[in-house]
Amino acid sequence: MSAWQDLVTAALMGTERASVPATVVPGLPLAADAPDIPFPNNPGNPVPEGRAPDDPAVLLLDRAALLTVARRGGRLADRVAPPPVPEPDQAPEVSPAAGRRLARILRGEYADLLTEWLTAAVTRGRRAPACLLPELLDRARRVTPADPELRRLAAEAGGSRARWLAALNPDWTFVTAHALADEDAWRLGSAAQRRGYLTALRARDPGAARELIAGSWAAAGPDERVMFVTVLAAGLSPADERLLEIALDHGNVRARKLAADLLAALPGSALAQRMAVRARGYLILHQGSRGTRLVAVPPAECDAAMRRDGIPSGVSARSTHLAGQAGLMLEVLARTPLRTWTVEFGRPPEQILALLSGGWAPVLFDGWALAAIAQRDQEWIAALINRALAGGRPGLLSAVGTLGQLARRADPALGAPGARPEPPPGASPVAEDAVRALRFRYHMLKELDHDSAG
Amino acid sequence: MAERWDRDRVLALAPDAPSTRAAQSLASGRAWPAAGARSGDGARSGDGARSGDGAPGALWGECRGSAASPYRTVVDLSGPAYRCSCPSRKFPCKHALALLLLWADGSVRDDEVGPPGWAAAWLAARAGRAQAGEPGEPKDQEAAARRAGQREARVASGLAELDRWLCGQARQGLAASQRAGYRHWDDIAARMVDAQAPGLAERLRALASVPHSGDGWDGRLLEEYALLHLLAVAYRRRAELPPPLRETVRSRIGFTLRQADVLACGTPVRDHWQVLARRDLEQDRIRTRRTWLRGRKTGRDALVLSFAPAGQVLDASLAVGTDADADLVFYPGAVPLRAVVLARHDVIEGGPPGGGTIAGLLASWAAALAADPWLDTWPAVLDVIPVHAPVRAVCDADGDAVPLHPDAGRCWTLFALSGGHPVTVAGEWTPRGLWPLTAWDQAGGILGVFGAVPL
Repeated sequence: MSAWQDLVTAALMGTERASVPATVVPGLPLAADAPDIPFPNNPGNPVPEGRAPDDPAVLLLDRAALLTVARRGGRLADRVAPPPVPEPDQAPEVSPAAGRRLARILRGEYADLLTEWLTAAVTRGRRAPACLLPELLDRARRVTPADPELRRLAAEAGGSRARWLAALNPDWTFVTAHALADEDAWRLGSAAQRRGYLTALRARDPGAARELIAGSWAAAGPDERVMFVTVLAAGLSPADERLLEIALDHGNVRARKLAADLLAALPGSALAQRMAVRARGYLILHQGSRGTRLVAVPPAECDAAMRRDGIPSGVSARSTHLAGQAGLMLEVLARTPLRTWTVEFGRPPEQILALLSGGWAPVLFDGWALAAIAQRDQEWIAALINRALAGGRPGLLSAVGTLGQLARRADPALGAPGARPEPPPGASPVAEDAVRALRFRYHMLKELDHDSAG
Repeated sequence: MAERWDRDRVLALAPDAPSTRAAQSLASGRAWPAAGARSGDGARSGDGARSGDGAPGALWGECRGSAASPYRTVVDLSGPAYRCSCPSRKFPCKHALALLLLWADGSVRDDEVGPPGWAAAWLAARAGRAQAGEPGEPKDQEAAARRAGQREARVASGLAELDRWLCGQARQGLAASQRAGYRHWDDIAARMVDAQAPGLAERLRALASVPHSGDGWDGRLLEEYALLHLLAVAYRRRAELPPPLRETVRSRIGFTLRQADVLACGTPVRDHWQVLARRDLEQDRIRTRRTWLRGRKTGRDALVLSFAPAGQVLDASLAVGTDADADLVFYPGAVPLRAVVLARHDVIEGGPPGGGTIAGLLASWAAALAADPWLDTWPAVLDVIPVHAPVRAVCDADGDAVPLHPDAGRCWTLFALSGGHPVTVAGEWTPRGLWPLTAWDQAGGILGVFGAVPL
């Protein structure tokens, strides 16, 4: 080792200034005596024209070559203590097919379905393939503000392997933060840890989480109130209504808006009933000589009561190009219990949708689609998708959004082969994309179901 | 029945990410009203039933796009090779990729009738070219010999100049190299290009980064200079070298052998070659793919190189994790490693390779270095646990460890796959550490769900 360092030092200074140190390789004759390395076909014999080089630079390079190869070839293994044995993984990995689909999602194909894949895997007691964990954890790390749920899900789907990995990489500490969300996290933790604790509690015991929020509401700041309402979205039930009504009157703008949206998603809530009363006046079934048609009587303006119930005055937040009466109509429909229409008109969703025509059709379609998504009404979702695919163009407002959203919330069975009409030839790319998304989700969930069945 | 590829194998052919996305959205049956496949078993099984055609597997289809007439796409699966009437300059284009994806999903049926005229013509032309083989021998043997002699002379004088330059460096001292710019090495590299020694030029150009490679740069630069000096001495005295070592010296300098000559001189080695690992490199706008193989019966290691201009797709026919029943012919050399595939008989599902110990790796490396002192990359297949601290390394059951290559990145996939348990790792062993390329998870003796995981 030191012989090599001596050579390097001499080489750094140059043979004009430094002398060339002797080198010794165990098992070989002294390099100084055998400047020419014997070649295999004449071992040990000095090569005929071989002579000790007079030039110290040549001598230096000769010896360096000898030592380089000797050091490389003679390298010994390092010794390390074996690493600690990790805790065993409880949950089994998903099947290869499900794993390959997760890889496709992580690489950008239907990237928005990641949450659904993870939720489905976690509820089936399966974990993500180990070799995809670095990609999964990096993805979850990047989404900080947008989707804290993704971090929790990634940590859960990653299992003990993810915790083991996170201990090696400071970028992934959120994995252990989620794993250690106990009551200390709630009392002493950061905003993210409090949120993690509350989310986990909500998943375990929705009522307990509701009590905790109700007791903490008065003292909470605006950001925390927003967080509270967001947490309530998971496992929403009529029991949450009283708390949400408090938020409607005593929250900041964002908390109020979120609370109103959640109340609208509870078809039995007082807000939903108020909305139904309004909406019934805006849509009338007209039986005339030319047949049955839907007549729209849009609201004239957004009054204070509507604003309290979460209807944005001015430009609709959902579709920026839709203002005025059409925007108001859309917002009211989006919050109206869908049962209102089947009862009011005495028809099932498909027949109501078949009445759509004229300039209001796209507004009504989108309003109902938003309501169906919020209320998770599968009957309406299926009817809306079938109408959009079979009926040519329903005239979608937000060309990309609505149908794609429906396809992502629909019962995945709708994606089974032959379960719904094929889009007609020349269908829009939006319709094609919706069909592909449905099919993707159908296979995705079938793979995971198959896992837990096997 | 031609074995259907899986999606990953298809997508590995995509020249870039936009092509992948475009192909995925085109891969629906509705976009391909007319598509068919021909299975390629005639050539493979040799049972006589279909040996009459002996044609390789192929796909064809017409893709409805924005243009008035559909695009016509043909894929020859044996290459794979592609032909499409679309104006895209990408290769393969999105249509060819989409057709392959559709086929991988099982949505393209075998067509008993065979390809339509427009596809059959191209496929037949390809088959004809393949049989005709490479263009003929140089006609004028004498002129060729004269040219070869001229080149030997030019290389000899180039190497003498290089050795003088190296001695000059040793005389003045290496300390100045840290302040030297790229020109310092580019100039001497350019003179090696003139001397028709491109292998040396490449090695010299790569040296420019060594003085800025952190601690120990001086030692690494001296190693490289010393090995170049050794190469110059070896070439000067090539007449005394045993023929295999002479071939090694010539190939390091940059003499290339024509593939036809390699095939003509070498003895084919037939084996079930496990495709262990693959590494792609790009330098001077040339992409190089190194594919490492190991024979299940012979235990021999082999390295198959393929090249492509930057931006083009490399040969993907040897898929990591599979076994290829093939005849390989090795290039001559003191440590015959580089090989060319002479004939491929079958592709077999590959199990994980048997991993060795670190002591075994270091012993085989020492033996190889004794025969070829310039060797700087050696195939490694190890049963090891990755460890993270104090440096990233792998250790085996005996407690022996070697570091991971400092430039190999953080290797998170390797750590994730292992989770502290032993895995089988295939990679390249170098003087600076192990560059891991593929891993197999062997918990409970069961292969990891992904089979071979490229790292």
